[in-house]
Amino acid sequence: MSDPLEALRLPDIPIDPRPEFAAALLRRIETTPAPAAARAATVRYFVSDLDAAVDFYCALLGFEEELRPSPVFAMLYRGDLRLLLSVPGVNHALPDGTLPEPGGWNRMSLPVTDLAASVAELRQQGVRFRTEVVTSVGVMQILLDDPSGNLVELFEPLEGYHERRRSTP
Amino acid sequence: MSTVSVRYIVDDVDAAIAFYCTELGFHEDMHPDPAFAMLSRGDLRLVLVSPVGADHRGGGSRPMPDGTPQTPGGWNRFMLEVSNLEATIATLRENGVAFRNDLVTGVGGKQVMIEDPSGNPVELFEPIIREARLDS
Repeated sequence: MSDPLEALRLPDIPIDPRPEFAAALLRRIETTPAPAAARAATVRYFVSDLDAAVDFYCALLGFEEELRPSPVFAMLYRGDLRLLLSVPGVNHALPDGTLPEPGGWNRMSLPVTDLAASVAELRQQGVRFRTEVVTSVGVMQILLDDPSGNLVELFEPLEGYHERRRSTP
Repeated sequence: MSTVSVRYIVDDVDAAIAFYCTELGFHEDMHPDPAFAMLSRGDLRLVLVSPVGADHRGGGSRPMPDGTPQTPGGWNRFMLEVSNLEATIATLRENGVAFRNDLVTGVGGKQVMIEDPSGNPVELFEPIIREARLDS
């Protein structure tokens, strides 16, 4: 007795790998440079108010919103820096229940071309600074707070500023 | 200038250099002062500084104007993408690295948090959806 579903069966389609096509595809994969974003460095900040944080980083510090798939998570970019903003929740809790919180002293350092002008502009917008402009070795820098109290460092390179030469463009 | 800079406050710059270079693949670019080092890994530049006095020539880790010192710790961190998180965790545990949590599977990937010798967090993640990858 034949299988009643046999009538629905599609004919076997022979798979023809076409070696020249496969070779061309492989060549393309191997020679296509990775997109610039592939080298993005990623930083995660915890914030208490996601909307306020996205507004702050995008309106005042030159970030662009890439994703905001939920009320507790956003992904922003500023050049090669990818900034993840997370509102602390159970998925971030430690095994003992401790939740992450904003704050601390570790921070990203954002380069600006004219620190005095940036500071003046940000002060006008009501941004809170923790320090005045500090002149250091190779840089001038200042520390400011985001709306959740996370630290951001702005710096302007000075004569003698060191940047490692990288082997890849 | 495309390099991304992150500054971490550490208790002991030498111990931090050893940790980041040995365990996490960073390269020591410069260490011109006992309180300062600059490391790099791909496009991430990690500046390590230990707290200094208000009159120290390095300005990145001086106390605040009200005297408040800068200290290690907190929750904000940089993230490093790895291709096999379980294998990385096994290696790091064998080397005695401190973990804040166990592997967590989130929306975009698997992640875990480790600590440097000063207690600063570093997040390791392995993307499991394309959107979470750095080249998405």
